[in-house]
Amino acid sequence: MATGAVPAQSGGRDAGFVSDSENYLKNSSGLLSWIFTLDHKRIGVMYLVGILSSFLAGGLLAMGIRWHLMSPDGLLFSNDAYNQVFTLHGAIMVFLFIIPSIPAALGNFLVPVMLGAKDVAFPRLNLCSFYLWLGGAFFFVGALMMNGLDTGWTFYTPYSTSTDTSVVMATLGAFILGFSSIFTGLNFIVTINTMRPPGMTWFRMPLFLWATYATSIIQVLATPVLGITLLLLIAEKTMHIGIFDPEYNGDPVTFQHFFWFYSHPAVYIMILPAFGIISELISVHSHKGIFGYRFIAYSSIAIALLGFLVWGHHMFTSGMSQVTVIIFSALTFTVSVPSAIKVFNWVSTMYKGSISLTTPMCYALSFIFLFTIGGLTGLFLGTLSTDLHLHDTYFVVAHFHYVMMGGTMVAFLGGLFHWWPKMMGKMFNETGGRISAAIVFVGFNMAFLPQFLLGNQGMPRRYATYDPEFAWLHQLSSIGAFTLGIGLLTAGLVLLHSLFRGKQAPANPWGGATLEWHCTSPPPFYNFKHAPAVGDPYEFANVEYDSATDNYVFTDLPRELVPDEHEPAPASAGGQA
Amino acid sequence: MFNALEILGPGLFGDDAKALWFPDQASTYAAESDGTYAMILWVSAFFFVLVLGPMIYFTFKYHKPKGGKATSRVRHHNLLEITWSVVPCFFLVIMFVRGSWGYLDMQTPPEGTRQIDVEAYKWAWSMNYGNGAIHPELHVLLNEPTKLVMRSKDVLHAFYVPAFRIKRDIVPGRYNIVWFQATIPSEKASDEELDAALAAHKESGDATWNYDKYQITEDGYRYYDLFCAEYCGRDHSMMQTYVVVHETQEDLDAWIKKISSRGDTPPAEYGEKLYKLRNCVGCHSNEPNKVVVGPTFHNLYGYERPLQSGQTVVADEQYIRESILEPKAKIVQGYNPQMPSFKGQLSDDDIASLIAYMKSLSDRGETASDAAQANDSTASEGEAEVAGDDQPAAAEAAAN
Repeated sequence: MATGAVPAQSGGRDAGFVSDSENYLKNSSGLLSWIFTLDHKRIGVMYLVGILSSFLAGGLLAMGIRWHLMSPDGLLFSNDAYNQVFTLHGAIMVFLFIIPSIPAALGNFLVPVMLGAKDVAFPRLNLCSFYLWLGGAFFFVGALMMNGLDTGWTFYTPYSTSTDTSVVMATLGAFILGFSSIFTGLNFIVTINTMRPPGMTWFRMPLFLWATYATSIIQVLATPVLGITLLLLIAEKTMHIGIFDPEYNGDPVTFQHFFWFYSHPAVYIMILPAFGIISELISVHSHKGIFGYRFIAYSSIAIALLGFLVWGHHMFTSGMSQVTVIIFSALTFTVSVPSAIKVFNWVSTMYKGSISLTTPMCYALSFIFLFTIGGLTGLFLGTLSTDLHLHDTYFVVAHFHYVMMGGTMVAFLGGLFHWWPKMMGKMFNETGGRISAAIVFVGFNMAFLPQFLLGNQGMPRRYATYDPEFAWLHQLSSIGAFTLGIGLLTAGLVLLHSLFRGKQAPANPWGGATLEWHCTSPPPFYNFKHAPAVGDPYEFANVEYDSATDNYVFTDLPRELVPDEHEPAPASAGGQA
Repeated sequence: MFNALEILGPGLFGDDAKALWFPDQASTYAAESDGTYAMILWVSAFFFVLVLGPMIYFTFKYHKPKGGKATSRVRHHNLLEITWSVVPCFFLVIMFVRGSWGYLDMQTPPEGTRQIDVEAYKWAWSMNYGNGAIHPELHVLLNEPTKLVMRSKDVLHAFYVPAFRIKRDIVPGRYNIVWFQATIPSEKASDEELDAALAAHKESGDATWNYDKYQITEDGYRYYDLFCAEYCGRDHSMMQTYVVVHETQEDLDAWIKKISSRGDTPPAEYGEKLYKLRNCVGCHSNEPNKVVVGPTFHNLYGYERPLQSGQTVVADEQYIRESILEPKAKIVQGYNPQMPSFKGQLSDDDIASLIAYMKSLSDRGETASDAAQANDSTASEGEAEVAGDDQPAAAEAAAN
């Protein structure tokens, strides 16, 4: 295989193709070479496999839930079994899928490559955090195998301190997963602070890195509180220390404060990296620089900080004082502004762009639609008088699925399709990818729009059975959920198919300008031989399409200021000499 | 396929009325809450179109084949940024203020509000109307403010009446208060309809009244749903009761009088009624060998009960009374101590009625005291009044 093949016709620079001996996927083989790898890219791939397996498990549980709810009396489970199924669906999706999805899987792969670095700052810590994730996952599976878990993913006391199911085991699992999350966050903060290449100032970082940085701050600051809370819960359950359980003079609302002090910022751990992905996707596939770079970057930080101040909105009905409730309502509204800024900037980026409706772009557009609905419906819940009606109903269920699934999951899929050629070195079938995006979009809306109406009508959440008047909306929602399942399955098949039948990916199939597109697909195990020279990550004027290779190559920027002087070309940014 | 649709019953493929938006506006809060909802909905719709309209337009307008170039290099515009940062804030402030206003209105009950004490427990409600009148249904008076003082006996629950647009968590270890004023009375069904429902209920042999099927209460009123909205364990979704709004004080008083005493009803019959109303039925079945959560009441009275402590007691009047008032005093082997106490909830006459009902379910109902004195283990062949060939099995079930 030719190394460093540069298309002659355009005269642009291109990283060419990687040789097998340098390809990070093939440079060493055997199980041990993966188990003990310190290569951030391989760790990212292992995370990806683990996270997608968890997503499959959580998704199958969701299908079970929707099948059960096709009939008012329930079709599939006993009440006890239903409670366990929805608990595991929530716990698996939150702790094993959404929280680690983008930072751990895509972030691990991308952060060093986008920085032009050879690896993260602490490669061993990175491997350690993967094994912690795996350990936490085993505890969850163990809890499932032993007595199941029926507390809901929120572990509210005193139910969680009085139930017979495996609360201790599951909380230990979440505790361990918390450390995985802290280590990843710490690693990224240090990496981004210390390992940026020459020329990459803070405001020349790709926005994905800004989002990852903001996420990491939350992970490091908030997750320890979850750890403390879960330890206290275990102590309460086993030793009755009297903090959360009223039977021993504790207060259940204290637990809710502790829990949401982590778990609300955790919502932003889930959504901020998604914002980062969308900023990249919209810009690259519109072939136009991102609009309002600084506002998007600052709004990520603003969300990370404001996100710490709004946890009380989960407890408007719990009996907090009126003043507290009103203050939390006000703070909740403030956090909506930075999110709105981002959405406006993304749409403006598309103005007068050159939009390619590739699969990642289809997912990104789908994200804007779904996240806008998710964000706007949050206003109904932040407003106190309407929240008293909608709290703990299906309106909330629909709202957070629009944000978490329509937002984070769709962005994750978009990002996965976007960087798949880079990660695996294979192109997927574009038509198949677009069809999957369309089915996911239709199925998702059909599954969750009816749930807003259910919430309006007063259908409470976490109900194994329900009144017959809610039946038709539940059935509509179930049919949508099955459609969504088929869409996700299609997406999975398209990606799997590409591994076996996909044609080899060029270095820059979409025309991106950030550093990962300057190295081969897949990157060599060392990413870059020399720290690359860094330009504007959103400058597309010198990214030219080469139809012969279906690839984009980098040309020299037109030099407008000194037209007569012949300057040497900037140092090669590619990893290949 | 046709069969499958029938299993699903009424629903997407049925032809029943399909409500879309909100339930009735049956309290003073409802109009304000729905008005705020509508306002937010319009603002949201405006911003949704503002975002999605250009997005869809740009997608088609600037869609170019691969290799196309962007025709604008504008990367920032501070005025635009400030506009779309500041303008939404005005809308947010309006929502916040209006929402908080509505919320504050709901917080302080006016003077002289009628109070009802509410107890929530897994998985039922009991509303205390004073003077021993306790009933799972919530009965209130039209246009009169009503205050609920709510406590939980076990885990978190939440009081939620969609038609009133109000919700409040019920937290163990706290008293949470909610008040409201109902504005639409519950219609009273015609006597024919009530008779038909009562007859159908008798025929069906259901243990409890099926509200969804008859769409009226056992007393013939239309009702509003009252849900538990905070997850509380196995039968969370069945922790529902019903709200009836009476038009006149006399009507409400008559209903309270009706539920507050046994009157001329024979004790065993009244005991059966309490068994259902006070939700003993939620955990204790009255059929042989059927364990729901606690032991079945069938063949309980007069039989020996093996306890967790290793002792054995005979289930006599005093044992049953103690088990109702202090459920954790004597735990039968194989069961968890999770029954709440009914101290102060049941009068002596109520307990006597329940004991009479349990006697009627046991084949030792008449002879237990003699049998206990004689200390026989399995005597009592000839005397069995209830079909009594399942004693060993029943004893076994109780031991499980």
